[in-house]
Amino acid sequence: MESSCHECGAIVEMYHTDEDHQLECPRCSAILYRSGQEFTLIIVVALSSLIFFVPSLLLPVLTMNIAGMSQTTSLLQAALVFFSDGYAAIGIVAILTGLTIPAIMLVLIIMILVPIKIGVNPLKVKSVYNLYLHLKTWGMGEVYLVSVFIAIIKLQKMATLNIGLGLYLFTAFLITFYIVIVWFNPNDIWEKNEN
Amino acid sequence: MKTDISESKALCLHCHYLNDVDDHICKRCESHVSQRKENSFSLTLAFALSSLIFLIPANLLPMMIVTTLGVDDASTIMEGVLYFLNHGSAGIGIVIFVASVAVPVFKLSVIFYLLIMTKIRGKKNLKLAMKLYRIIEFIGKWSMLDIFVVALMVSMVQFKTLATIVTGPAAIAFALAVVLTIIATENFDSRLLWDEGKNGSK
Repeated sequence: MESSCHECGAIVEMYHTDEDHQLECPRCSAILYRSGQEFTLIIVVALSSLIFFVPSLLLPVLTMNIAGMSQTTSLLQAALVFFSDGYAAIGIVAILTGLTIPAIMLVLIIMILVPIKIGVNPLKVKSVYNLYLHLKTWGMGEVYLVSVFIAIIKLQKMATLNIGLGLYLFTAFLITFYIVIVWFNPNDIWEKNEN
Repeated sequence: MKTDISESKALCLHCHYLNDVDDHICKRCESHVSQRKENSFSLTLAFALSSLIFLIPANLLPMMIVTTLGVDDASTIMEGVLYFLNHGSAGIGIVIFVASVAVPVFKLSVIFYLLIMTKIRGKKNLKLAMKLYRIIEFIGKWSMLDIFVVALMVSMVQFKTLATIVTGPAAIAFALAVVLTIIATENFDSRLLWDEGKNGSK
């Protein structure tokens, strides 16, 4: 099938590579095709990732002790402080990009793949698909995770810390989230329909 | 080399199907199709310039105000970095410096460089330009690191009289600058770099 490179515009012959190889543009070396995994497998991992997500918000991430006073925080509480504090803008950006968008992306992937697996025409999930492509730029879960670690290191200077179960679950959520994003090749939903 | 312009084709960026240039709706996924991202140059320039403006207060104003036993301690991004370097945590200091000072400046310089390159004919360094473009596409989101750290620390440390942390005005300016650079990169169409002739500057 003839196509053009989305990064330099050269006309290229498209063919599907196996799982160990990817197709590169001969002119600008953009990745043109990378094989995705089976849809069923992606759905399963996406579901398990969502199962990690919900408790990771509610369970304590950190318990702090300063001079006999102690305070326990969960990710959800940490997010809500901003709205009472008058810095809603930062709070909204941090919650959206760090927590909400990764979770929404997983839900969207399930909403795209389950109907296609059943045999629905991909055109029916077109709007969900386009929304997913837009959100992809704004999912910053991995950055959020690293920032949790940095915040913990910074706080160690001020207080005695105990890491809670929430942090382990959140790490598990992000690892499975990444597996899903890497395995899912959005273009596959159109190609599998044609074959 | 045959290109989509020379063959009068237009690639759908949603499903990567190659349409004829006259089709405005993709034949396969029915999304909107155009040969190049619309108003790519002006939109990228506009967002990059606004981002540049917000970077100034982001670096001069305090990012975070720590109050310990009634004593206020406001620090800007650079002061935070220096604090870590002087207190034996050079590693974290470097991570924060790279993520919140070096990366935003590098990203904006690359965007302006790429914009100039689209206007120059007969260029040679396209491979380098594409490499830079892919780098800024990849690292863009990491600039949010410092914002997230401040956000988390503010919400975790609320001991009323003993110690509190409040976000400074720089946090909002910095978050805006980062978001605007990401939008600028999104709007940039790297195919403009490769186009030759009168279609090139579209």
